[in-house]
Amino acid sequence: MRRIIHIELIKIRSNATFWILTSLHAGIILLVLLSIKFFLRSLSLEGHMISRIADPAAIPVYQFPDIWQNIAYIAAYLKFILAIYVIISITNELAYNTLRQNIMNGLSIKDFIGSKLVLVFLLSLASTVFLFFSGLVIGILNTPELRLHDMIKYSGFIPAYFLLLTAYLIFALMIGLWIKRTGLAMGLLFLYTLFVEPLVVFRIGSEWVKGLFPLKAFNNLVHMPFGKYILREIQDYVAVKDILIVLFYCALFLYFIYLLLRRRDL
Amino acid sequence: MNDVVSTNGLTKNYGRIQAVNHLTFSIPQNSVFGILGPNGSGKTTTLGMMLNVVRPSSGSYLWFGEEPNEKSLQKIGSILESPSFYPYLSAVDNLRIIAEIKHNGYHNIDEVLKITGIFDRRHSAFRTYSLGMKQRLALAAALLSDPSVLILDEPTNGLDPKGIAEIRIIIKTIAQQGKTIILASHMLDEVQKVCSHFSVLNKGQLIFTGRINEVNEEQIIEISSDDVHQLHEALQKFTGILKMETEGNIILVALPSKVQVSELSRFIFARNIAITHLVNRKKSLESQFLEILNEKA
Repeated sequence: MRRIIHIELIKIRSNATFWILTSLHAGIILLVLLSIKFFLRSLSLEGHMISRIADPAAIPVYQFPDIWQNIAYIAAYLKFILAIYVIISITNELAYNTLRQNIMNGLSIKDFIGSKLVLVFLLSLASTVFLFFSGLVIGILNTPELRLHDMIKYSGFIPAYFLLLTAYLIFALMIGLWIKRTGLAMGLLFLYTLFVEPLVVFRIGSEWVKGLFPLKAFNNLVHMPFGKYILREIQDYVAVKDILIVLFYCALFLYFIYLLLRRRDL
Repeated sequence: MNDVVSTNGLTKNYGRIQAVNHLTFSIPQNSVFGILGPNGSGKTTTLGMMLNVVRPSSGSYLWFGEEPNEKSLQKIGSILESPSFYPYLSAVDNLRIIAEIKHNGYHNIDEVLKITGIFDRRHSAFRTYSLGMKQRLALAAALLSDPSVLILDEPTNGLDPKGIAEIRIIIKTIAQQGKTIILASHMLDEVQKVCSHFSVLNKGQLIFTGRINEVNEEQIIEISSDDVHQLHEALQKFTGILKMETEGNIILVALPSKVQVSELSRFIFARNIAITHLVNRKKSLESQFLEILNEKA
């Protein structure tokens, strides 16, 4: 375990692309989180009303306990930046023949997958910790009356964000290993994420069936929270069913990765 | 003597092309084993299968008499085709990764960098290296865990003559330490200078395997005298000549290795012919290699 963590750390420590993309990810998360307020204020100044009842500027997006689901939902859109790095990392291993050399040197296929999982967990964990502290600070600054109960309530969306990110990065890992070419793999990942699955899911009526598709299932971990501000009913909890589906997909993707490496000439 | 590695019917097909065809051979411990063959004869594919990166279509192999696993690979230092490292990492970081994989520790990184002569550039990124330096780092990586077996596929590719000579010395030194070296090459000269055993592959088939000196069963002697015709007639009476050819005013005589050259010269003197030129031309591996290829083609 320690060995595969070391191996992956040496690889990323002096890798400029890693530092650029992770800083970019953190920077954009912060920027987007902070701009929600400005966006709502500008809506309010222009006289738009989200509903007849509420003034957009008065919506408590940054207040405990709402903030956890709000920021987890928004930050989840930025997962693609980390997915880019995961794809670069795995396709480079193939392009540089380092995967082959590592196997020849006596790294087992399972250990190789383990070292890439280390990367995935590291990225997800770093992003989650960053999101948690951003949420904590923004929440403390914006909540008029701090109560511990409110701060903890809904904070389960933070681990849900971790799981969502991890699952998506494993998905990216699989696409990268399967497609081999960096540009093509990124193209396919975005095509699938933005068009293929949403279009298929759109044509299906049943929410239950929709939730069986991988990306829909990932996103179901953190439902869109904003409906509650126009008095719609939303899912403000993480459903066990969704967690199970996501874990099932993670296991399936990892197994597919294992089969690819087992059968393919490296 | 134990075999380091043995293969049994190893076969690899790429679609309809048979890259390696039922290869069965074994490599004895402490040998320097050359694998010869023209380009595309299946050398790299064979080594790739033995190193767990090319999946055999059929057949099997054993390392150290055991089913192959990652532990056996950790005892082997290998270079396959071109040197493969993380281009943005320094030599030291690249070697650290290998040390981690092989459970080796970082203690002899400096040592292998010194042996291969790239210690001064150890902190530069791999991508800034020349081809020769990349080859040297590949050799350093192969030596890192003090492996009992070294597999070197074209280790002198891209090196200058000085580099080639240095690598040859390194290989010989390692061989003297009682290690097994498997050397794939199309440079016959290289194999002849360092190997004790060799095998020849052609179109994926094993067409020869044995000791280097086993093939040196003939010697070729150049003889000349003032009267070549007279010499030619005289030689025809000498028993044991395998073949005789005339090249200008020099006669080439092929003899079994066990025949002493002095016997031949005494025979000629006895017929009152003065020899003006006599050279024992040892048959080179190259000519033998080409002969083997032609015979089996």
